[in-house]
Amino acid sequence: MNVIIRIAREEWRQWLRSRLAVLSSIVFVFLLLFTTVLTALTAREAGHQRLHQQEQAESTFLDQPDRHPHRMVHYGHYVFRVPPPLAMFDPGVDAVTGQSLFLEGHRQNSAMFADARAEARTGGFGLLTPAKLYHLFLPLLVIALGHGVILRERESDTLGPLMSQGISGERLYFGKLLALGALIVALSLPALFSSVLASLLGESLLSASLLYVVNLLYLSIWALLTLLVSLSTRSRGVALGILSAVWVITVLVVPRIGVTSASIALPTEGKILTDMRMNHDLRKIGDGHNAADPAFAKLRTDLLAQYNVENLEALPINFRGVVSSESEAALTETLNAYAEERMLREQMQSGHLSAYGLVSPYLAVGGASRNLAGTDLETHHRFLREAEAVRFEFVQGLNQAHIEKLSYVDDMNRNKGEEGSRRARVDSANWQVLQDFRFTPDLAIDRVSRAVSKLLTLVLWIAALMSIGLLAARRLIP
Amino acid sequence: MIREFKFMLRDKSVCVWLSLALVFSIAAITLGLDEVSQQRDEIAELKQLDLIEREVTLADQQDWGSAAYYIFHITYDAPSNFAYAALGQRDVSPWKHRIRMLALEGQIYETDVNNPDFALIGRFDFAFLSSLIAPLLVIFLLFDLRSGEQVAGRLSLIEASALNPKNLWYMRAGLRSGTLVIVLCAPLVIGGLFAGSSISTLVLCVLSVSAYLAFWSALTIKLTSAARTGSYNLTVMLGVWLILCAVIPATLTQAIEKAVPLPTGGEIVMTQREAVNDAWDLPREATYAPFLAQHPEWENYTAWNDSAFEWKWYYAFQQVGDQTAEPLSRAYRVGQLRRDQIARWSSLASPATLLQRTMEHLATTNMAAAIAYEQRVRDFHAKLRGWYYPKMFKSEVFDAGLARQTIPGYESMLSAQREE
Repeated sequence: MNVIIRIAREEWRQWLRSRLAVLSSIVFVFLLLFTTVLTALTAREAGHQRLHQQEQAESTFLDQPDRHPHRMVHYGHYVFRVPPPLAMFDPGVDAVTGQSLFLEGHRQNSAMFADARAEARTGGFGLLTPAKLYHLFLPLLVIALGHGVILRERESDTLGPLMSQGISGERLYFGKLLALGALIVALSLPALFSSVLASLLGESLLSASLLYVVNLLYLSIWALLTLLVSLSTRSRGVALGILSAVWVITVLVVPRIGVTSASIALPTEGKILTDMRMNHDLRKIGDGHNAADPAFAKLRTDLLAQYNVENLEALPINFRGVVSSESEAALTETLNAYAEERMLREQMQSGHLSAYGLVSPYLAVGGASRNLAGTDLETHHRFLREAEAVRFEFVQGLNQAHIEKLSYVDDMNRNKGEEGSRRARVDSANWQVLQDFRFTPDLAIDRVSRAVSKLLTLVLWIAALMSIGLLAARRLIP
Repeated sequence: MIREFKFMLRDKSVCVWLSLALVFSIAAITLGLDEVSQQRDEIAELKQLDLIEREVTLADQQDWGSAAYYIFHITYDAPSNFAYAALGQRDVSPWKHRIRMLALEGQIYETDVNNPDFALIGRFDFAFLSSLIAPLLVIFLLFDLRSGEQVAGRLSLIEASALNPKNLWYMRAGLRSGTLVIVLCAPLVIGGLFAGSSISTLVLCVLSVSAYLAFWSALTIKLTSAARTGSYNLTVMLGVWLILCAVIPATLTQAIEKAVPLPTGGEIVMTQREAVNDAWDLPREATYAPFLAQHPEWENYTAWNDSAFEWKWYYAFQQVGDQTAEPLSRAYRVGQLRRDQIARWSSLASPATLLQRTMEHLATTNMAAAIAYEQRVRDFHAKLRGWYYPKMFKSEVFDAGLARQTIPGYESMLSAQREE
């Protein structure tokens, strides 16, 4: 055991003596700290701002004066998604999807104003986040510092003497691995900071700590790979060349090819096209604004029979309200069916993409990180579903007021001058049907269960690299 | 020269990198062409569905007001014949809108988003390949040029036997990067001939890529030294790549974002909604005053019949909603353009940014193109209003046949603009 620690300590001494190693580590540490703080501040600010906007939207809605209930259906409401605490590490799809949604009757809108749209186009990889640094670029530092761990001994002819002193290849392997492990742990401290801070801000300990672990696992893959290549090549130049090639292919190329492959294998059509196809289905439901629409004739006959009256004026309830409510329900069913189909499609695409995680640990760690942080596609879909539930509830609540609180005769005369329009209003107390909307992340256990397959992929990589590495270490000859 | 070329091909790692470059380029170009043709197909289908829908909807209408309410119009921004190389802003900005005569500010920010996971990871297009991966390929090809010979013990021999050793290294470096440029650009040009891009665009693109990679070659030769080991040289160059290709662009974006704040999008839409909804409860004159300020020609046509609802009033307050949100919406667009302008100037300090922006400019997939499309949608919407207003204010009788024949079309507006 002592030998292993001695080997590791010696490796660290070598790193600290190399100006290049020290300089590149300083650059990375500075980048990590800067990005961690900046992303945390941005997420915090966005959180406050959106919560404030949400409260404002709710009070504006409730403060609306007495009016025709259907006017409120069109007045609509806004919901905002407050980022989860771990968004300070991985903001995930947030910048791409937009964070606010306008809810109104008869329609499901898409989220508007994604940040990415108004960003200055400067090429590169977009804004840096801690997650991006860890997943995209930190492997480079591990490679740069680690590719020589064995080869340095070989090139300076110290490998032979070392081994003849009775240090087995296996021990050497573990010693170097320990050195790299300590490096990784040191580099992971900013991630640990994000996790601790997030859990102080209310994130569950399970997901926060697991997110940290996932990043450690990912960096370990690169450490093991680096060590393996250092063991099995003959020169540092070649080792670094091979490792950089692996990095370019698995981090920069495969994920993007995977994206295109997923969209070719499971093409989705745009929302507008879906909407237009859906319209064909919707024409069968009838227009809820027009109670005379033939589609509602049966409803009318049924109601008249049920209350045993001659005409709509004699009904104790407002027929126009009933029509609004019925058509909203039918419409929502169709809208939801299409929305679910689209979401399912996106899930399948993302599943297709995750399969590439077997060749690119970058995809696995990115997916797991978003899952755990609660900034993944599934969370976005849940946001859409919950927003839709809010929409349907307040619209139907208003329709209920339309049915019960406003007489059919007043309603029909709503366009007959000032007096008519004044009588066709309901009390603003009815706007209370609107529920508060506070979007919260999924339960930690649910997020973890979504991340499990990606976690396993990472563990599989580690196991494979470790066993091959050990084999190579046993066969190590000076 | 030919001898040097043979030398080069004898180096196994050089062959590996060059063939990888070829594979990458072929992939980027085919994927780009495929995406562009998918977008074209989608636009074609949208246009067709739009026509069918117009027929069905028109048949159901009794007055101009409800025709304007129920008839949607497809607008689109077809990809240019060079878009396959750089899809740029098209991934985040809308390139199709389905609009009607209601307040435009409530419609124009809708984005028909793709799977967000995809946008997050990004696309493998030629712009990405040439601006971010190609520099790495240059580095891999050149970092060991001299240090490798040093290790092999040939360095002093080679330098002694050459007339001018410096020239020799430049020639070898030029040979390698030149071959890389050819390998990268051949698929681009072939793809361009398929897609019908103009020769000048292709030439400009190839020249930009060559200049960019020449820069990277010179930088690599400058910063690597024969006295250092190959791994030292490569580490240094990877660091340089990271700074130039990731850190500087990200810092620019961050700094520009802070320097030019935009109104939050929600503000624009909410202002518009409040204005539109308040109008129902306001005296009609309050709506007509700002409306007539822009349309004095309808001054004498605002008289009311006895009903509490009139379409002309409804659309007047829709327009007033747009007018109220106009300062914010303009600030949003001006801010976007301002950000873009700063990005353009600052790209002089960041070669990767410069190349990417050049390609997006050539492909008209940049911010300016996205905003120009938005402007065309605004123009079209204004045309729709101009067409409906006389019919509503003069209380003309609805005529489906007339509508079918003369309703403004986005496509005919485009061709009219082109003729100008």
